[in-house]
Amino acid sequence: MITVEALTKRYGSTTAVDGLTFTARPGTVTGFLGPNGAGKSTTMRVVVGLERPTAGTATVAGRRYADLHAPLHEVGVMLDARSVHPGRTAYKHLVSMAQTHGIGKARVREVIAQTGLEPAAHRRAGTFSLGMGQRLGIAGALLGDPATLILDEPVNGLDPDGVLWVRRLVRELAAEGRTVLLSSHLMHELALCADRVVIIGRGRLLADASVQEIVDRSQGAGTVRVRTTDPEPLARELLAAGAQVVRQEGGVLRVRAASVEEVGTAARRCGVTVLELGSESGSLEEAYLELTGEALEYRAADVQGGAR
Amino acid sequence: MSTSTPTPVSGPTAARVVAAEWTKLTSLRSSWWIAAVTAAVGGAITYLSAQASSVDPGFQPVDSLSTGLVLAPVGLLVLGVLVGAGEFRTGAFRTTFTTVPRRAPVLVAQTLVVAAFALGVGVLTTTASALGILPAATSRGIAVDLTAGDGPALVLGMVLFFVGMALLGLALGALLRRTVPALVTALFLVLILPVVLMIATDPLVGGGDPASMVASEAVPRTTVVGTLTVLTPGTAGTLMTTSPSSGGMDGAPDLGPVGGGLVLAAWILVLLVAAAVRLRTRDVR
Repeated sequence: MITVEALTKRYGSTTAVDGLTFTARPGTVTGFLGPNGAGKSTTMRVVVGLERPTAGTATVAGRRYADLHAPLHEVGVMLDARSVHPGRTAYKHLVSMAQTHGIGKARVREVIAQTGLEPAAHRRAGTFSLGMGQRLGIAGALLGDPATLILDEPVNGLDPDGVLWVRRLVRELAAEGRTVLLSSHLMHELALCADRVVIIGRGRLLADASVQEIVDRSQGAGTVRVRTTDPEPLARELLAAGAQVVRQEGGVLRVRAASVEEVGTAARRCGVTVLELGSESGSLEEAYLELTGEALEYRAADVQGGAR
Repeated sequence: MSTSTPTPVSGPTAARVVAAEWTKLTSLRSSWWIAAVTAAVGGAITYLSAQASSVDPGFQPVDSLSTGLVLAPVGLLVLGVLVGAGEFRTGAFRTTFTTVPRRAPVLVAQTLVVAAFALGVGVLTTTASALGILPAATSRGIAVDLTAGDGPALVLGMVLFFVGMALLGLALGALLRRTVPALVTALFLVLILPVVLMIATDPLVGGGDPASMVASEAVPRTTVVGTLTVLTPGTAGTLMTTSPSSGGMDGAPDLGPVGGGLVLAAWILVLLVAAAVRLRTRDVR
């Protein structure tokens, strides 16, 4: 269980995390999502005690990370693939971690096997690909068999095999009743393995919900897409009826606050030939973009002067 | 996942952190390279120096024993800086301080393992230096006995000097957290500052009239600059490798080997405490 409460972290005048509150529960994979620079890594660094919060608290199993008696056994942490000295072999890196908690070499060999690092175990970490580095980071996180795992962008740089492996691994870990907090800037990645998603942008909480709830909440949900030969009269007709209209290329209008029936009727009223008409289900990616504010910029560039 | 039995959870202890830091230090090639090069260069310089001195009528081989120390501080300062700042340069600190979140035990353990490793390097280099003076001594038919007279104190002083230099590097590395600034600062304090101060005391610098040099015979026994020089960590450390009867440096209070060692120890302690305070009160990033 990871509990973040009203967490704020400032660096000088820059606010990296701004009053963030969320919980990651046991038996659940909690996706931690946001664009690059949204404050995900900062939040994780505060949770594991590398940095102190400016305000608020972050606890694991009810205690501050720094107060844990045996951190490796309680929280598995993988923050950055570059958390290893490049001159040290993977094996020696893991052995040195294990020694701090009196964990035997047998367990080190076990996590090396589990993460598929055997062929590279005695190579220096500096020679590793990003994917191998991620596997080493995950091996370190698993070392103490912890009840909580905090993984920052674990699929970053992994090959397709590795991505599948991480998805399966985190599902298994959660199924065993562990708490898994997993960050990513890719919504679709999390959609495939997370139960809940915490979305942040500019350090603030934007959403904390299940994947399905976020899809349903998307603007895309309930949008009607209509393609006509002559979009302008129809757009004016719909706006007059109180709908919201976004003009797109190829005579396409995206209409909100109006049903398919209402759009069809309006088209007939102004004598416009309808080429396509249908309602759109929300897309996760779109929901995410809307939440993080990138959607607006994206549309502004795309629509070019269209009314909203 | 593993089929771990619910064993009582036990975390970092002082001994465990020391074992981990020892693994970290000895699993880097750079540590062994520094040890080998320091011993080889120390032995070689001592050999050459002894050969050169052996033509003097009053040649005493043991006096040449510590001549190899002119370059030795560099290797040990690098060793210490690499341990202290290397963590931060490479990002390994994220692993280190999430594994041992109390942080301070890590710095204590690093101090112990760097001291132990430098002790080994010191013994190795002193042995190489002792071997280095043998050919010259043999050629003059002088027996070398390091167990007699100033010998034991000199050997001990040399080994401690190695330990002191490595710890100075560690403290600066841990305090500054960046390899290059820490190394530059260390080399400045140990090698450059004494030279700068020495030049500053030279009456010829600063427009002094060469004729007035005769008058400089009358300068007091200790000068401000001389005192500052002897208080720099490198010069103070070097005093440990001098005989107590040598009478100290010109223009500086005679601290003796023990006094010099204490001055170096004070430098290390102050810097380590500063590093510990920074580690405790500031974020690690």
